[in-house]
Amino acid sequence: MSIVLVGVNHKTAPVEVRELLAFSEQACAEGLRTLVDGEVLREGLIVSTCNRVEILTAASSERLKEGRERITDFLSESRSLPREVLGEHLYSHTEDQAVRHVFRVASSLDSMVVGEPQVLGQVRRAYSIALEAGTAGRVLNRLIHQAFRVAKRVRSETGIAANAVSISYMAVELGKKIFGSLKGQSVLLLGAGEMAELSARHLINAGVSRVLIANRTGDSSERLAKEFGGEAVSFDRLADYLPEADIVVCSTGAGEYVVTAAMAHEALNRRRNRPAFFIDISVPRNLDPAIGQLPNAFVFDIDDLESVVSSNIREREREAERAELIVDSEVMQFQQSLRVMDIGPAIGALRRRLQDMARSEMARQRNRLGPLTPEQESAIEQLLISTVNKISHPLMDRMRRSYDVDADNLQAWREIFDLDDPPHNK
Amino acid sequence: MRSLLLAVLAAYVVAAIHSVLAFVNKRKALQRVSDWAMAAGFVLHLTALIADWVIDGHYPLFYLRETLSFLAWTLVGSYALVRYRYGALALGSFTLPLVTILVFMAIIVKSTSDATLESSGFSASWLFPVHTTLLLFAYAAFFVVFVASVMYLLQERELKLKTFTAIFHRLPSLTTVNEIATSAAAIGLALLTVGIATGMVWSSSRDGLLWHNDPKEIFALLTWLLYFLLIVYRSTARWRGRSAAWMGVLGFALVLCTFFGARFMGGYHVFG
Repeated sequence: MSIVLVGVNHKTAPVEVRELLAFSEQACAEGLRTLVDGEVLREGLIVSTCNRVEILTAASSERLKEGRERITDFLSESRSLPREVLGEHLYSHTEDQAVRHVFRVASSLDSMVVGEPQVLGQVRRAYSIALEAGTAGRVLNRLIHQAFRVAKRVRSETGIAANAVSISYMAVELGKKIFGSLKGQSVLLLGAGEMAELSARHLINAGVSRVLIANRTGDSSERLAKEFGGEAVSFDRLADYLPEADIVVCSTGAGEYVVTAAMAHEALNRRRNRPAFFIDISVPRNLDPAIGQLPNAFVFDIDDLESVVSSNIREREREAERAELIVDSEVMQFQQSLRVMDIGPAIGALRRRLQDMARSEMARQRNRLGPLTPEQESAIEQLLISTVNKISHPLMDRMRRSYDVDADNLQAWREIFDLDDPPHNK
Repeated sequence: MRSLLLAVLAAYVVAAIHSVLAFVNKRKALQRVSDWAMAAGFVLHLTALIADWVIDGHYPLFYLRETLSFLAWTLVGSYALVRYRYGALALGSFTLPLVTILVFMAIIVKSTSDATLESSGFSASWLFPVHTTLLLFAYAAFFVVFVASVMYLLQERELKLKTFTAIFHRLPSLTTVNEIATSAAAIGLALLTVGIATGMVWSSSRDGLLWHNDPKEIFALLTWLLYFLLIVYRSTARWRGRSAAWMGVLGFALVLCTFFGARFMGGYHVFG
C-alpha cells in the first residue's frame, strides 16, 4: 500500500478557495465513507482547518495514479469546484513526501504561524472522525501515531513554541524579562478593549496577584473587576494608584496622554524606583513616550510589541530548521517500519524460497532420473512447483489472516521462515 | 600537581566550549555536557589543590601560579552557587572561559622570584592562608557582580532601545541579575572586610604595623569603599538599576588593580 496525500493550504490557495473546500465534521465522515472504496483507496482521513484542507489516504500501490485522480474528483464533485480551478491550488504528495508532509503539519511546521499549538488537536480530531467512519486502518494508524510522537519531539526538543507570537501575550513575556516571576505583581488596566482584556487575562494566568481597573465609564470597570477578581478604581484618582502598579496596560480612546512623563516620574519616586512596565495598545498613543526616558521605566507601544513578535518569529524559524532535521530522521524510521509492515514482500519472499528449494532438489536428483525429453523435464518441474504451491497456499492464507488480526504477527512469520529482514525498529 | 592540573584544564575547556555553544544555540544537551564537565573539573581541581598542599607542605595560595589556580577554583564554586540559587545559565558563558584561561596561565607560569615561602617567614601563621583565601573568594564574588552588571546593562539596553537581538532571548530577567549583583556585592564586601582585617592582624603580629601604605593595600581599601558605597546606594531605594550596574563594572576594575597591584607596583605585598 502507498500513502497518497492531496490538498490545499494557506500557501497554495487564498482563503476564498479554502473556505469553499472546507469540510464540516459531518461532511468529513460522509465524504470518507464515499471516498474510501477498499480497492483503490483502502484508508482515508480528512483534515480541514483554517490553514488547510487535505485528504490523506492509503492507496493500492499498483493503482496509485488512479487513487490520486479519485481524490481530486471527489474534491471537485463534493465541493462543487471545477477541476481547472482546483488544479491551480491543489498539491499532491506520495510515499516519503507524503509522510514528511504529515509529520511537518502535525509539528506545526507548515502552519501560518510556526509553532502554533492548535494543529495537533485538529489532526487528532480528524483522526478520530476517520476511526469512527471506519476508514482508518493499519497504515494510517501507524502514520498518525508516529506523527503525534514527532510533534511531541519537535515541541520538546526545539524552541519552536517557546516564545510568544501574539501581541496580547507580549505583556507576560516582556513582564517576565523585567520582573522575572510575575507572582505577586500588580497590574493596572486603563480602559478596556479585547486586546487589553486578553493581556490582563494572560497576566493573571501568569501569576499576577492584584488587578486594578480604571475606566472613564464606571460600569465597565465594575464588570471587568468582577471578571478578573480585581478592584475597580476611579479614573480621576489615577495618579494615586499609579505607584502601586508594576505593570500598566493602557487601551483608552483618549485624545491626549492619560499618563504623562511627569506623572510617571512622580509614581516611580513613590515606588522607590522599582521598575515599571507600561504597555500602550491605544492608537493614538495615550501613554507619553517620554516615560521611557525615565530610569527603570519601560514603555512599549503597539509597534514595539509588533517588533518583539517579529523577533520571536525569527527565533522560531531558526528553531524550525532544527525541527526539520528531527522530521527527516523520523521519516526514515517510518519508511523502514512500513516496509516491514507490508505483507506482500514477505509472502513473495517465502514463495520464492520454497520454489528455489524445489528447483535445487530437482537439480540434485536429476541424474537419477536418466535422460528426459524437454517436455518431460518441464512436466516434472511443473509438478514440483505446483506441489510446493499447494502446500504453501493454505500456509500463506494463514499468514495473511493472522496479519489482518494483528500486523505485528508478521514479524513472527518472518522470524519463523528466516526471511531476509531489512533492519527495522520495533 | 601538573598532570592533574592538565586534566582539570581539559575538563574546563570542554565545559567552557559547551557553555558558550549552549548559550548561542539554546540546547539543553549542550548545557548538560558543560555542567558535567565543570563538575568533574571542580572535583579534580579541589583534589589538585589538596594534593599540592600535602606534597609541597604549604597552603596552596602563595606563588602566582597557585593564586591563579585557586582563583579559578573559587570562580567555579561561585558560579555553581549562583546556578544553584538563581539558575542563571548565561553566567557560565562568561565565567568558564575566564576560568580556563586562568588555569592555563597557572600551568605555564614559572615562579620568577627567589623568595620562597620559608624564607619570608610565612609558614608559621595560619592567618595568612585565611587572609588570602577570604580575599580570593571576595574577588570571585565581585566578578559575579561584574558579570551580573554587564548582563543587566545589556538586557536593559535591549529593552530601552526596543532592539531584540539574539542576546535578548538568552539573558535572564533584569530582576534576577539585579538580585545576583546585590547579593554577590554584599557577600563580597563581607569577605573583603574580614579578609583585610585578618591581613591587618597577621601583619601586626609579624612586624607590629597594621598598614604599610603599599599599592595593594590602597587599592583594596578603595575597592572596599566603592562596594560599601554601592551597597549603601542600593539600599536607599527599592531599585537602582543602571547606575548600580555601572558601579559594579567600575568596582571590578578596582578589583583587578588590587589583584595585580603588587606585581606591577611593588611594595610590601611582593612575595613570590
